[in-house]
Amino acid sequence: MTIRTSVPVAFASLVALGSLTDWTAHLPAAHAAEANDKAAFVPPPESAIPQGKFGDEVRLGEKIFREPGMHAAAYVGNDLRCSNCHLDAGRLAGSAPMWGAYVSYPAYRSKNGHVNSFEERLQGCFRFSMNGKAPPLGDPVLVALESYSFFLAKGLPIDEAPPGRGFPALPKPDTKPDYNRGAQVYADHCAACHGGDGLGQSADGKIVFPPLWGPRSYNWGAGMGSIKNAAEFIHANMPLGMGGSLTPQQAWDVATYVDSQVRPQDPRFTGNVAETRAKFHDNPNSMYGQTIDGAVLGDPAVTPPAGTVPEAAASEPGK
Amino acid sequence: MNTIRIIRMDTVQSPAHSRVMMQSEATDLSARNRPQRAVRAGRLIAVRSLLCVFAIQAAGPVRADDKAASLGPTIAMQGSSRDRPACAACHGVDGAGQPDVGIPRLAGLHASYIADQLGYFASGKRRNPIMAPYAEALTPDQRRAVADYFAGLPIPSHVDAVPAPPAQLERGRALFQRGDAQTKLIACTQCHGPNGVGVGSFTPRLAGQSGPYISDQLHRWRDGDPRDPRGSYMQAIAARLSPEDIEAVATYAASLDPKPGRSQRSADR
Ligand code: HEC
Ligand code: HEC
Ligand code: HEC
Ligand code: HEC
Repeated sequence: MTIRTSVPVAFASLVALGSLTDWTAHLPAAHAAEANDKAAFVPPPESAIPQGKFGDEVRLGEKIFREPGMHAAAYVGNDLRCSNCHLDAGRLAGSAPMWGAYVSYPAYRSKNGHVNSFEERLQGCFRFSMNGKAPPLGDPVLVALESYSFFLAKGLPIDEAPPGRGFPALPKPDTKPDYNRGAQVYADHCAACHGGDGLGQSADGKIVFPPLWGPRSYNWGAGMGSIKNAAEFIHANMPLGMGGSLTPQQAWDVATYVDSQVRPQDPRFTGNVAETRAKFHDNPNSMYGQTIDGAVLGDPAVTPPAGTVPEAAASEPGK
Repeated sequence: MNTIRIIRMDTVQSPAHSRVMMQSEATDLSARNRPQRAVRAGRLIAVRSLLCVFAIQAAGPVRADDKAASLGPTIAMQGSSRDRPACAACHGVDGAGQPDVGIPRLAGLHASYIADQLGYFASGKRRNPIMAPYAEALTPDQRRAVADYFAGLPIPSHVDAVPAPPAQLERGRALFQRGDAQTKLIACTQCHGPNGVGVGSFTPRLAGQSGPYISDQLHRWRDGDPRDPRGSYMQAIAARLSPEDIEAVATYAASLDPKPGRSQRSADR
């Protein structure tokens, strides 16, 4: 329905630009608090990757590390990337960088009670953090990841935990970490990116903010499922771009909240939650088997399965 | 002397249907020459003075029953009242803005983001002498309506007339896609999504946004102004950018194709 009545609108205004330059008070530039500024090792830049077969392997390793779901699909059962937790593609000090890891193996791990090679350590992250399947030793995926890590560690002495390895230690909380306080921290500082439901957000078909819980996140056996690891990681690195801005107490509280949510089953599940807790989770840093809002965490009735590698990918290993 | 051009609108048909056949014509009133991006010095919005003298021949009153549905397009095309001309006069009929003088593109931004920003302009939390009077004149419902309208417009195709030096673009690409470990700058794509398409209502689309506008916002944050209550993330980012890097990253972002897929499941968060 068109009614054509022309209404001429005249308008005159003058905004002198003098006022535009006054928009901003000249305050000192804002700096995010820095948790990891100790003189940590600086891995070689991408441009230092050599040409030739070894260089190709390093480049493949970096690709897998950034997009395991694409380049190691046969072993990946969720929407995470290695680089979601090992930031700056495994380079960043204070977020378990690959250079720090590479020079620290073989090492004894209480998690499985024997000395682990670096390759075996890599297998663990596929099985737990990626809720997938461990690539067999010698698999091209592991060789590529090992080559990439070796390249990043160039120049570091071996068998001396270098500064920047793992996550920076976090002081014990003043008061016992609390789920409800954690929920508030989550709403204020995390939900804008990871979503109120923790399932993350994507744009243009790609995950931008990774899921923190739910069927497409890390499973109950993962290192991030330990409240201590999660609190340390979060305090140093989250909210993204503002690492170090939460108080230690807030980090412990929000880690408790995140690690009290539904996530895929522990692949070592014995068939019984209490027994699985007793065997693998008998410590205050794990909420597995505890009751939250009337539901038992890990109860198979409400717990997504472990190792959800897509069938198509699983049938062509090594891809 | 660079100016915002006020776009003259002749022969406006019913805005109730957004297929408004309009003659839109950029009229630069104080200077004949189109401002060059290179003219920008330091923190510039390419607006040196804004002289708005123009006439809009707008469509007449809309029938009452069309009113609710056409509130957004009416404000966008005709203004909210006689002394508040149309948004389209500056942001363009197609919502593409005026890239060369730093008037941002609105088409394809998330509706909640646009509505929030209008609220911040109105309350003075985002200080801008040009936008304030327009935002103040709108009720919250009107803001939401005009936000929905611009958010729903098809994303205009990309025009970037001024070619940038390849080295600058390359530096911009590196910062945008990868960040800079030395300064602990994280990549823009980590929050603005692949190729800067924006993520839900959290981060606005940068791909194809006006380069001078991006640069100006970054300088503001770098100078310590939070811009608005959600600006702390960007303050932390901009503090790590040198003026040269701001130019590089703004030029690169402006050069990106704004078209590829829109934000997905997150769209209505
Ligand atoms: C959900 C977060 C997460 C994801 C995803 C993840 N990791 Fe980890 N990773 C961790 C945590 C937490 C630790 C420390 C665990 C611990 O100390 O028990 C760790 C430790 C490691 C270590 C040993 C580090 C050291 O210094 O000893 C390596 C190697 C490793 N991960 C490789 C990978 C690879 C390769 C991938 C991808 C296939 C991956 N991770 C994916 C969280 C993750
Ligand atoms: C500005 C957006 C943003 C905010 C806010 C944010 N994160 Fe993240 N978070 C990310 C991104 C992006 C990654 C992946 C980083 C990468 O790939 O480099 C991530 C990764 C993580 C991870 C490891 C990956 C995973 O899925 O488990 C955890 C745990 C995490 N964030 C927890 C938090 C917590 C807790 C908060 C609030 C204190 C928070 N984040 C706030 C963007 C954000
Ligand atoms: C006289 C010119 C002019 C008019 C008319 C105008 N704007 Fe603006 N608008 C601007 C300028 C200039 C900016 C950039 C402000 C800044 O630098 O912060 C802007 C910024 C905006 C932004 C922020 C975009 C972003 O990406 O953050 C929104 C939203 C907006 N305008 C909406 C509107 C709406 C809706 C109307 C009509 C009610 C309108 N504008 C009318 C000049 C104008
Ligand atoms: C940690 C997350 C994060 C990162 C990383 C990030 N941004 Fe942003 N950006 C935001 C948020 C959140 C907003 C909305 C801010 C607001 O509303 O005030 C924003 C807004 C902007 C805007 C304003 C756009 C508009 O339409 O007004 C520009 C320009 C911008 N970012 C540029 C960049 C550039 C360039 C980079 C990389 C150098 C970058 N951002 C990296 C979170 C981020």
